[in-house]
Amino acid sequence: MKLKHKTKETLIGYAFLAPALVIFITLVGIPIVISFLLSFTKWNFFSGISQLKFVGFDNFMKLLTTDRAFKTALANTIIYTVTTVPLTIFISMLFAHVINGRVHLQKFQRLAFFVPYISNMVALGAVFKFLFRTDGPVNAILSHVFQVKDTPNWLVSTSLSRIPIIGVMIYSGIGFCLIVYIAAIKNVPQHLYEAAKIDGASSIRQFFSITIPMISPTTLYLVIVRMISAFQVFAPINVISDGGKNAGNTSLVVMLYEEAFRSYNFGYASAISWILVLFILVVTLINFHFQKKWVHY
Amino acid sequence: MKKLDIKKLLLTMVMILLAIIFLLPLLWMLSSSFKNPTEVFASPFQWVPEIIRWENYANVWTNTSLPFARFFRNSVLVTCISVSGQIVVSSLAAYAFAKIDFKGKNVVFMIMLMTMMIPVQALVIPRFMLFYELNLYDSLWCIILPNFFNVTSIFLLRQFYASLPNELMEASRIDGAGHLQIWARIMMPLTKNGMISATILAFINSWNEYLNPLIFLPSVKNYTVALGIRWYLNDPSREYNLMMCAAASAILPIVVLYIFTQKYFEDGISAAGVKG
Repeated sequence: MKLKHKTKETLIGYAFLAPALVIFITLVGIPIVISFLLSFTKWNFFSGISQLKFVGFDNFMKLLTTDRAFKTALANTIIYTVTTVPLTIFISMLFAHVINGRVHLQKFQRLAFFVPYISNMVALGAVFKFLFRTDGPVNAILSHVFQVKDTPNWLVSTSLSRIPIIGVMIYSGIGFCLIVYIAAIKNVPQHLYEAAKIDGASSIRQFFSITIPMISPTTLYLVIVRMISAFQVFAPINVISDGGKNAGNTSLVVMLYEEAFRSYNFGYASAISWILVLFILVVTLINFHFQKKWVHY
Repeated sequence: MKKLDIKKLLLTMVMILLAIIFLLPLLWMLSSSFKNPTEVFASPFQWVPEIIRWENYANVWTNTSLPFARFFRNSVLVTCISVSGQIVVSSLAAYAFAKIDFKGKNVVFMIMLMTMMIPVQALVIPRFMLFYELNLYDSLWCIILPNFFNVTSIFLLRQFYASLPNELMEASRIDGAGHLQIWARIMMPLTKNGMISATILAFINSWNEYLNPLIFLPSVKNYTVALGIRWYLNDPSREYNLMMCAAASAILPIVVLYIFTQKYFEDGISAAGVKG
């Protein structure tokens, strides 16, 4: 009788899970396996399955040694990550500290900083592309307000074209971090701030001595999330530059997209995707490790 | 009587200034969307054009070769079906993980959590092959179906179910109710806040999706709003005013929705931040 009940519960359990499991197996589980296998092949999708060739680690060897486009994409992905993540996190932290109880009209400020986050990245990319045109508003401000003579060609030069991309990534990322930080700061015991005030600690002092250490678990969470999302940057680059895989400001995902869906080199593109997986894996593991060390409350 | 706090006023002014700077790109977009092509880059810049050209919007929305109204409908359709499907699927799974005792559930849950580390970019190639073989390629289902499964959503709702006391179930079990009834009538309604959070997150993700539509929706009739804007970007005639109309048409509905449901949006985001 007991056993029968147990079997019935198991059946019901899987019945509840069934819709999720079906999608999970067909659109996540099996694709992971196929993608992994493909990364060891040389295969153009439209040449048919008969042309599929196993090449062992050749794709990875080529990526890591000879492919210059990949080196560029990898370097850029790292540049985008190390520039946008710390800036986004620090600005959001500071804004959250200030907005939380230190200003009037909080609601309007939250709105202003949050709207870019919920805005379509393609729309924002389009806006930034034209803000940074040679005759666009950014250069107009530079030449009229700051008297800059030779205003830069933001979108033409390889190194400068990263600036609008970094800009739009930070611009759209702040809202999310800000809202999470505001919630986190609300959970910091108020008596800490009151005690600090009695001791005469300034708002800036309170920020560094109370807010930052007390919300460190949130910071860790946001660093992971924002790094993973920066590794996957695609839309801003695709929209702002659209120069293909040789553009000089490409990221891993831009290259993956170009290889897979313009050239249909599914094997090579899959190999790129697994290098991306490796990055995410490493960051996640490093963070798990540090979680114990520098998160304290 | 409260003392006038000079410091607070000053700080407010600084933050309002920053907030306005933050809104400037979007205001520039809005302003340009009402101009004609030559006014867009005219110097000195006019925030409010002399003639407000509403016809730009009429042009973008009713354009026959590139019907933005149709893109909007596609985006709304994709988002609504994706979000409602994801919530139902996740809620059922979350209930099972939290409240039904069955063999293998921890293993399944761990495997699902582990796949969170695999980015969607690693999955799009096999998905493309699958959809291509199933003749689903170039249909909205390519975008909708993957959205039905979302680990974050399951994880979030599972936390909510786990926090509900088991006594709630046991009382109805004695009355002979099965899991399906308990889920639908008693437990699910109590996870309302979790469902709102999950809905908001799914909504933002789905509405703003770009890589998937770009890969899976090649024909213009299936374009989502994001692809519509992209078309204007790549259009050789480069009508910036129309492009900004398209961009504004994608952003404004979400902003309006956000203004009316600010609390839910923010609670939704921070719930994911705190619990995820």
